[in-house]
Amino acid sequence: MAGAAMTKRTRSACWLALVLALLAGCARRPAPPAAGGEVVVGILADISTFNEYQSLGDAYEAQVMDLLFPSLLVEQPDWQEHPPTFAPSLATRWETSADGRVITFHLRPDARWSDGVPITADDVRFTFDVQRDERISAPGLEIKRFIEAVEVVDPHTVRFAFSRVYPYQLMDANDGHVIPKHAWGAVPLERWESTDFGAILVTGGPFRVASHARGQTLVLERDPNWWGAPRPYLDRLVFRVVPDSGGQLAQLLAGHLDLVEVVPPREAGRVAASPELELLRLPGRTWGFVAWNNRRPAFADRDTRCALSLAINRPTLVESVYHGFARLGTGPVLASMWAFNKALAPLPFDPARARELLARAGWRDADGDGTVERGGRPFEFDLLVPAGNNLRRDMALLIQADLARLGIRCRPREVEAAAHLALLDAGDFDASLTAYTEATKVELASVWATPADDGGSYNFAGYSNPEVDRLIAEADAAPDFESARPILDRIQELIVADQPVTFLYESDKLVAMNRRIRGARINSGSIFFNADEWTAGR
Amino acid sequence: MSAPRTPPRLVTGAATLAVLALAVLLGPLLAGDPAAIVDPPAAGLLPPLARRTVVELRDGSTLAGETARRADGRWLVERRGGQRVVAEADVAAVSERRFWLGTDNLGRDQLARLLTGGRVSLAIGAVALTLALLVGTAAGLAAGWRGGAVDAVLMRLADGLLAVPILFLLILLAALFRPSPAALVAVLGLTSWMDVARLVRGQVLTLKEREFVLAARAIGASDLRIAVVHLLPNLAAPLAQGAALRLGDLILAEAALSFLGLGVQPPLASWGAMVAHGQEFFPAAWWLTFPAGAAVVTAVIGAALLADGVGEAARADLHAAP
Amino acid sequence: MPRFLLRRFAAAIVLVWLVATVTFALVSLAPGDAAAGLADPRVAPEVRERFRRDFGLDRPWPARYLTWLAGAARGDLGVSWVHHRPVAAVLADAVPATALLAGLGLLLEIAGGLALALVQLRRPHGRADRALTALSLVAYALPAFVVALLLQYLFAYRFRLLPPSHTLSPGGELLTGLPRLLDQLRHLVLPVAAIALTGAGAVARYLRGSLLDERGQLYVLAARARGCSERRALWAHALPNALLPLVTMVGLSLPFLISGSLVIEVIFAWPGMGQTMVAAALARDLPLLMGGTLLATLAVVAGNALADLAYALVDPRVRL
Repeated sequence: MAGAAMTKRTRSACWLALVLALLAGCARRPAPPAAGGEVVVGILADISTFNEYQSLGDAYEAQVMDLLFPSLLVEQPDWQEHPPTFAPSLATRWETSADGRVITFHLRPDARWSDGVPITADDVRFTFDVQRDERISAPGLEIKRFIEAVEVVDPHTVRFAFSRVYPYQLMDANDGHVIPKHAWGAVPLERWESTDFGAILVTGGPFRVASHARGQTLVLERDPNWWGAPRPYLDRLVFRVVPDSGGQLAQLLAGHLDLVEVVPPREAGRVAASPELELLRLPGRTWGFVAWNNRRPAFADRDTRCALSLAINRPTLVESVYHGFARLGTGPVLASMWAFNKALAPLPFDPARARELLARAGWRDADGDGTVERGGRPFEFDLLVPAGNNLRRDMALLIQADLARLGIRCRPREVEAAAHLALLDAGDFDASLTAYTEATKVELASVWATPADDGGSYNFAGYSNPEVDRLIAEADAAPDFESARPILDRIQELIVADQPVTFLYESDKLVAMNRRIRGARINSGSIFFNADEWTAGR
Repeated sequence: MSAPRTPPRLVTGAATLAVLALAVLLGPLLAGDPAAIVDPPAAGLLPPLARRTVVELRDGSTLAGETARRADGRWLVERRGGQRVVAEADVAAVSERRFWLGTDNLGRDQLARLLTGGRVSLAIGAVALTLALLVGTAAGLAAGWRGGAVDAVLMRLADGLLAVPILFLLILLAALFRPSPAALVAVLGLTSWMDVARLVRGQVLTLKEREFVLAARAIGASDLRIAVVHLLPNLAAPLAQGAALRLGDLILAEAALSFLGLGVQPPLASWGAMVAHGQEFFPAAWWLTFPAGAAVVTAVIGAALLADGVGEAARADLHAAP
Repeated sequence: MPRFLLRRFAAAIVLVWLVATVTFALVSLAPGDAAAGLADPRVAPEVRERFRRDFGLDRPWPARYLTWLAGAARGDLGVSWVHHRPVAAVLADAVPATALLAGLGLLLEIAGGLALALVQLRRPHGRADRALTALSLVAYALPAFVVALLLQYLFAYRFRLLPPSHTLSPGGELLTGLPRLLDQLRHLVLPVAAIALTGAGAVARYLRGSLLDERGQLYVLAARARGCSERRALWAHALPNALLPLVTMVGLSLPFLISGSLVIEVIFAWPGMGQTMVAAALARDLPLLMGGTLLATLAVVAGNALADLAYALVDPRVRL
């Protein structure tokens, strides 16, 4: 009996010790960072590769690449008033030849990769070769198509030769970060896709990779080899993978995260109300629309499409889903962009007029079953919605309800993102709820020009207007932005009149940031625009 | 000797399940349309017991106000999100509504969704169970009665199926095809029959040696007749207990799958899907997750109690028999 | 015994092959072009063709199947399209995390269930027994994800006692030794608790019934008659027999453990098999999907065989 009691006491003591140890762990977090400070950013998914020229890159990786790899120039966030301007980065200055077809960049002599090797024109040339190679499937091929050659004049001078003069020469030359030839040049391009570049990683930005716990945390630390010393001021920039935005917000409010890039509009109030947090509302470049498959008989005529646009209660949709953090969509060019045709306005919500147009287009409910028909076929269709996105799911339900009142049966159907893309690409869909994020280049051909027979375009709706095609080609050929402007205005007018898609919304970018981060000039193009200047107080 | 009492657990369990079944069958008829979207900016995320005046307009849209007054041929609706004034001619109907379990972010009545979703959850569980029972009983009877090769093959198959990682296959299926309630029922049912088969087989093996079975064989009764007339009635009790237990597991499984997005797809709702949908609003709008979660727990408890009760009754029977 | 092992081995191989084939068939039947989701749509068609060739998607399915099968037999599961690393390496990163979670969860749920059942048996049908029976019933009926969400809300967000997700705190990778171990332990508490709480309920219910049955058996009565105390009779005689079926129960619950912890992994951002597979499914990373399913099946088959073996070793009545 005594023996058993002893065992029991010892056991209790052990439990007590364990509990105390856990609580002690509570009180002591990992030691606070040294002078520079640390910022913890929440991301929805781990980056899958450190080489942006491998396939399946996505938005997070692009932002992280800004921190790790150099570019010739830095694009300035001034695209709302005029086409974006550029500031020096790896290239300290540049000259354009008299005929405008050659741009020569002078690189800074003190630029080094993280292993100390100098960054030279050879790296720029190597990068260009990779971007243009057919064995790599990145869209660089498209962007670089007007660059004929990249020539190494000397280790710090590189010359870009263009096949024609056009307004986006600097932007196209600058697209994509520079990658290290001495580290990655040896990888045969056929093996590019199956190579783990993280194992042979060499970086050249203000930060370098300190550790990468896959699927969980990516820790970046200051790179002492970077030319901008004493910047960056931060010691560390930590990326934590938190797979859902609700969890991200909870962790942000609890202080585990300092920066969250995507704040659900419904939660914006909570962030704004918190004294430690700051809600940044930036003009967004994401716009959402319903793509009607113009090739299908139901959506082939303009009257029907206009009726659909008028019938959807877009103001209520925007208010319900975005709580005021979005504006109504107007046309193919974002209202916040410099090239927007200011004479255009969003279509009103007008179900009466929608009914008229439907009738005019030949839709009638002959058999009184509540659904309109034309040519004996009822107006019913599947609306594809990418899975896992609550906002889009809610939008689909609102659209379904709106259209039901006009006798149109819309069936929302959730599909996985990859399957969604495959169906859109194959033209195998009726309608789709989609959103694009625009680049700062106003380039209408890939979305609005008649798609070539072999595919290769973002024009999933299959929109085809020969007049628009002609004007797009004209605008592309214009030598400068001023002469392109009136043409772009006319294109926007025509597309809005045709309503190949229903323009739903243009959403703001909502970023939540802990106030202890100072000096951040965050813009909707790049969160880490001036990350090298950030400081983090306690 | 007095007749054995029906165990209280059996009664409680059966009653719980019966009440739930009744609620989900009749409830939707009384509670209204679960899919009706009501003025999301004004009626979104209302707490339980909230009351609003709902003005339905002729163009089909709705306004939900704290108050609505009629004056000079117009309706003034005071609502969250701003006052609205509409001409009387545009108004189709005005009604007072109380949202007993609150609303979700689209203004949909949660009580209606709970009851309608319950139909889906319970139906999937019940149909999958029936499938499992049918396949399992048939397999168990065949294996136990015939023995030999039939037994070996069936039991190997059962063992094999038990090893399959169901969830991974379901992820695969959901990624490649579109999950539907029918597919869900099929998968759940076909992965649950093994336990039933084992149970039945064990029982059949024991019953095979009993006198009445031997007698039936002696007089030349066909296998089928023996199975139906003699074996099945004796299997009723253990089968009932196993079935009740399985029902609980199946309801839990459907809830987990729908929570992960692999089960019932929107706009169809089930209890698991409701918890998944409400998760992003937790804990502020707790009424979106709590009732559905509680419903699942209640159903599973009911099934477990029923199973316990049946087991107890069977044991009591056994001990009471001479 | 060797015959048993051989038979089980053969059966296991057949089963794994079957599952592999079914998985391959499912994946091949999937609608849509598998490569379409991988490349940017604006890419020229010739580049896409080259892409498909690189990934071996242009060959007929029998050839692809045989190549994959041959590779799998050698241990080469191909290269993940998303991670650009060998599938085996990706899985090797993810498996330990899941094993840790599932293993600890299993251990704690058995320990917890056992403790509950023993307490209940001190005075059967007494107040404590009835209360704990109800409690274990509720614990069993609660869906794991509800428990997980509740725990996370209470302990991580509301009362800020424990971390809400991940295996380590930010910067925790730089810790070593005891502080690192403590940090890891703190992160393990909530996910393991979520698994163990619901499992303990089921185990307690089962054990209570089975222990009660055993206690009434003759051999226990005989032991008491010989002068054993109530407790000794319970521990030394009834318990081992009641535990035996638990071994099989553990084996049978392996598939659930591997997949059930998936929900927990998603909620707690735990970098295990669950998260990896879900991400692979979303991105249609076919090599990883097939490799992961294969591995999971192997694990379960092995686990079942081990459970059977353990049962046979422990129970002298069973003959293999």
